[in-house]
Amino acid sequence: MPGDADLNDFESGLKPLWLRAQSGDEAAYRAALERIGTRLRGYLRRRLQSIPDEVEDLVQETLLALHLQRGTYDPSLPVSAWALAIARHKLVDLWRRRGRRDNLHDALQDVDESALAVSSEEGQARRDLDRLLSELPAAQRQAILLTKIEGLSVAEAARRTGSSESAIKVQVHRGLKRLALQVRASRP
Amino acid sequence: MKTGSLIDMLARGAGPAPRAVAARRLWPAAALGLLASAAMALSLFGSIPASMHASTAPWLKLSYAVALALAAGWLTAGLARPVACLNLPRRAVLAVLVVMVLVGTWSVVAASSADRLAMVFGQTWRSCPWNILALSVPALAGALWAVRGLAPTRLRPAGFAAGLLAGAVGAGGYAVACPEASMTFVAVWYTLGIGLTGCLGALLGPRVLAW
Repeated sequence: MPGDADLNDFESGLKPLWLRAQSGDEAAYRAALERIGTRLRGYLRRRLQSIPDEVEDLVQETLLALHLQRGTYDPSLPVSAWALAIARHKLVDLWRRRGRRDNLHDALQDVDESALAVSSEEGQARRDLDRLLSELPAAQRQAILLTKIEGLSVAEAARRTGSSESAIKVQVHRGLKRLALQVRASRP
Repeated sequence: MKTGSLIDMLARGAGPAPRAVAARRLWPAAALGLLASAAMALSLFGSIPASMHASTAPWLKLSYAVALALAAGWLTAGLARPVACLNLPRRAVLAVLVVMVLVGTWSVVAASSADRLAMVFGQTWRSCPWNILALSVPALAGALWAVRGLAPTRLRPAGFAAGLLAGAVGAGGYAVACPEASMTFVAVWYTLGIGLTGCLGALLGPRVLAW
């Protein structure tokens, strides 16, 4: 099946990047997330043909979930299977919340595998993550802004705010977790 | 926000991925659950009679509970991940159950026919499974909390596995108060209590584990 070969190529390109990312290589992590994002866009676009507006929102929601749960990846298994399992979970959650379980089955069966062409063109999500970020509690928002947007190191951010390094890390993680919850709750 | 900016944000300063995330959540949940269930058992039912302190029965019960908790914890850790190999942990759970059933069968077969009914039902068969279910509640809350913070994608099986883990922990706590000495009794009624906790977990899973 061409789809399988395609997935194998995807996996063999992704896995070395991902393993480096897991051990702390930031550039490899960015590159791996970009590859996964592109793949997710194609995957979700095929399955959300009736509501294309949702695609980019769900790509972002899945990327956020992948990041928060990167510790649950088992290196003996394919990265693509892990990432797609999370995407599928988010997709099912979306359909369930929209109360259209039946449509999911239709959408999954009617997948036209020739439309498997992966699109790298990047959409703008309708949901405004910047606004959701601004709604986080102050300490979490500040920790994320300093380390994740301004690009300060954890040590610098700790000095700037007068808190400890571990406190900064905790605030960043809690903030992203809370962001993921808000993203899920803000689904139209 | 553009997806590219989100990726930049996630990757920036991300550091290495956290390790052993399942174990780091499940071990404390199980340990605290065991302490809570033993404390509840002592305060609700009182300690086992002094004559049992030197017997092997409490230790055999505890061994069954610990072995099943380890196997069920392994299965729970697998089901708390989006993809995992579940064959080995599933077999481990089955193996513990099979060994206990064999031990229970062997003791009842070896006993004289007059004692058999008492070995199966003891004095407390009516309350034993419910007691175990009740004592498992703290461990169940802890195990579900642990799994909820990970990434389960099969919520009902994940809830069931967390329930088995909690049931085994609760059974371990109950061993400090249970006056029964027959392994046949343990094989039947402890297992039933653990199974009930598993079913409660399966019932709760889809509701409380969604993320």
